[in-house]
Amino acid sequence: MSSVQGARLSRVRLPAPNGVTRSFPLIAYVIMSILVAFLAVSCAEEVLTLEEQAQAIDQRLMCPVCPAETIDQSQADVAIQMRELVREKLRAGESEDQIYAFFVERYDKGVLAEPPADGFNILVWVFPPAAVVLGLALLWLWIRRLGRPETRHMSSHGDWEAESERYLREVNEEFETFRRTSGHAGISGRG
Amino acid sequence: MAELGTLSLFFALALSLYACAGSTIGVRRNLPELVTSARYSAYLIPLPVIVSVMALVGAFLSRDFDIKYVAEHSNAAMSRAYAWVAFYAGNEGSILFLAVALAIAAAVALALAPRLHQASLAYTCSVITGVLAFFLAVLVFLANPFETTVAPVPDGRGMNPLLTHPGMFVHPPMLMTGLITVTIPFAFAIGSLLAGRTGDEWVDTGRTWALASWSILGAGLLLGGWWAYTILGWGGFWAWDPVENAGFMPWLVLTAFVHSIMVQKRRGMFRVWNIALINVAFTSALLGMFINRGGPTPSVHSFAESVLGWVFLGFMVVTALFSFGVLFRRMNNLRNAQRLESKLSREAAFLVNNLLFLAIAFVIIWGQVFPVLSDTVTGVTITVGEPFYNQVNGPLLLAVVFLMGIGPLVPWRRGSLAQLRRALLLPFVIALAVALTLIGFGITKAFPLLAVGLSVAVGVGVIREWYRGTRARHRNGESYPLALIRLISSNRPRYGGYVVHLAVVMMALAIVGSYFFETQRDVRLAPGETASVSGYSITYLESEQRDFPDRAQRIATVEIFNEDGDTLGIFRPEQSFYPSFNLRPARAAIHSTPLEDVYVIPNDFFPDGTVGFRILVNPLVMWMWIAGPVMVLGTVIALWPTRRGARVPAAIFKPAATPTYARAAE
Repeated sequence: MSSVQGARLSRVRLPAPNGVTRSFPLIAYVIMSILVAFLAVSCAEEVLTLEEQAQAIDQRLMCPVCPAETIDQSQADVAIQMRELVREKLRAGESEDQIYAFFVERYDKGVLAEPPADGFNILVWVFPPAAVVLGLALLWLWIRRLGRPETRHMSSHGDWEAESERYLREVNEEFETFRRTSGHAGISGRG
Repeated sequence: MAELGTLSLFFALALSLYACAGSTIGVRRNLPELVTSARYSAYLIPLPVIVSVMALVGAFLSRDFDIKYVAEHSNAAMSRAYAWVAFYAGNEGSILFLAVALAIAAAVALALAPRLHQASLAYTCSVITGVLAFFLAVLVFLANPFETTVAPVPDGRGMNPLLTHPGMFVHPPMLMTGLITVTIPFAFAIGSLLAGRTGDEWVDTGRTWALASWSILGAGLLLGGWWAYTILGWGGFWAWDPVENAGFMPWLVLTAFVHSIMVQKRRGMFRVWNIALINVAFTSALLGMFINRGGPTPSVHSFAESVLGWVFLGFMVVTALFSFGVLFRRMNNLRNAQRLESKLSREAAFLVNNLLFLAIAFVIIWGQVFPVLSDTVTGVTITVGEPFYNQVNGPLLLAVVFLMGIGPLVPWRRGSLAQLRRALLLPFVIALAVALTLIGFGITKAFPLLAVGLSVAVGVGVIREWYRGTRARHRNGESYPLALIRLISSNRPRYGGYVVHLAVVMMALAIVGSYFFETQRDVRLAPGETASVSGYSITYLESEQRDFPDRAQRIATVEIFNEDGDTLGIFRPEQSFYPSFNLRPARAAIHSTPLEDVYVIPNDFFPDGTVGFRILVNPLVMWMWIAGPVMVLGTVIALWPTRRGARVPAAIFKPAATPTYARAAE
């Protein structure tokens, strides 16, 4: 797209973005009210049946004799016994944490499918988000560097000479892309 | 048979060493005849490797228990059809499979390579045959499947019963082929760097092979999920198990690569980055093979622990050092041809995409390695299991879906916020409407609402692009079907990509449905008794036991009824007990509809005639399996070669290569 043409187009299009911005606050209100309603709904605590609670616990306890299976997944005898024990304890009124503590006491920390966030092990949780944030920061810096113009006059907007030079460069680039994608050195046929 | 197999492996090793050395020396000393001869011998390598595969399969067919590998992975009772599965059921055989897949892919890739610069092709040949030589050397010296036993046994141990499943004929081959063929794009990238060709010549070939390997690996992973769903007896298809992760990790890196390579293809940018990515993809594929052979964490699927794992790890370190070393040396010549014009552009969106996919892959590696770290530091082994990956990667996957809704609508080079807002308005309004409807139905969990909403936005965005493009062509006098076909073939990478995005939407819906909304019940039923689970009634009718030399099979007959009491059919789920493996693989009864699956699996047969069933109602799972063929179709569209000269890229003559809203002024 030539920049000259682009400039003309953006003038023609001016009303459209305005229209969007005018309707935008309305949508924003709608979204906000929905979010509030949604928060209100989700704050209402879900009541779980004993079986549902038990299944949630099953999925967080590893079967001690089988490689990489939770007691929910495994059909080993130990797993079946542990599942029954979980239900017994829930019926006896024990809390989720008490049940985990019981199994950790019995089989050590490895029985928990979710790594505990204590001491050194807190790293397992902290490191990934930290890495993502660091990655985002690096990405931002990199994008900025990639965007830095290589020669000064190319970026000066409004300057007719520079603009037309940019246009020419873009056309060249597109021919270059075309040659690369079609494997041809020139334009054939259609035009 | 054993001698023939070993001999041909030796022959293949010799050929690949010759090809590797000949190619390298030939190009360095400028001896074109040597380079050509080396390439021709690379074409020959598949022959001896195929011969040794045939020897091994033949040994299984003829029950040659003198061969240790055959005795360990089959027995007289095994159906002969499973000879093919038994061939790669163990460590040695699976390496042989990797070798044969790589040998064939290498020969095809080298023969089809476009007229690349001679030096690039020669170095590519060295890299590929070098990797192949590693696998063949491992086979010959460390893990020879043809090794014979000193004390012959009358009958073998039998194949791992979990592998007795139709999915096993294709799932492991696809997974392994996907993993090993990452070598090909890697070799093209490194080959052209070694030759000092720092331009974009390798890009088309590299992209083609990376996409092929990506889609084979993806299909392999899905088949693995299907296998787990039908046989493992807990009603799920993904558990972030180390071996699943081992295949998923390279797939993620490849996903990043097949996106960002488009930027280099179209704009000549990200030259260093793309080579770094394919290096990482290759390294993680090797890491995956290491994990499968006794990696750091235990798994349900892995082969027995062996010293081989460490050999793979060593090879991985060496190739990583080598490939990044080469990249580092050539870095100064790998300048971007263009600069990034705007932070709001497709190019930038692809970078965010890459960050997300690498982050997900990183979380997986971190989760695999951390138990080892923790053990070393604190002395207590902890488990990093499913809940960890769900909590950490869940939000990242959600971000991927979000980006998938936006990225394709951002034009190349430079977008504007106003345009973007206009393009996003409809998809997101519809998404919001869907989310509201779901809330109306009483679904209040935040994650599924967000995930479904975003998936809907992606779907609407894609379908609208199609609709607009087709309508524009229809106005020019083409019939609708023709217009759609012409639209797709006018920019295959883009519209093929959209098809893949639709497949991802299906998967996202299936994952959300089955993860958040499954209902599970474990019941113990006597014959004639009925259990009901969310509207369905399951009646246990009878059971029977069949004894085989290697297993005791128990079949339960159940009838499933829907809410209205109409029968959905009689099913015969089963469970077998294999004493020699102490394993109880099951086969679930699955009544599948697009809305939900009823899944019944008998886990316990009690002496008093009662049976312990696990019954699940799993919403939307079917879409996971539909997504597989759709994904492959999309890849095929994206890869379908263009007739030479027939296509003039739209980008030159009109800005149609940017999304349709650029034409909104029309």
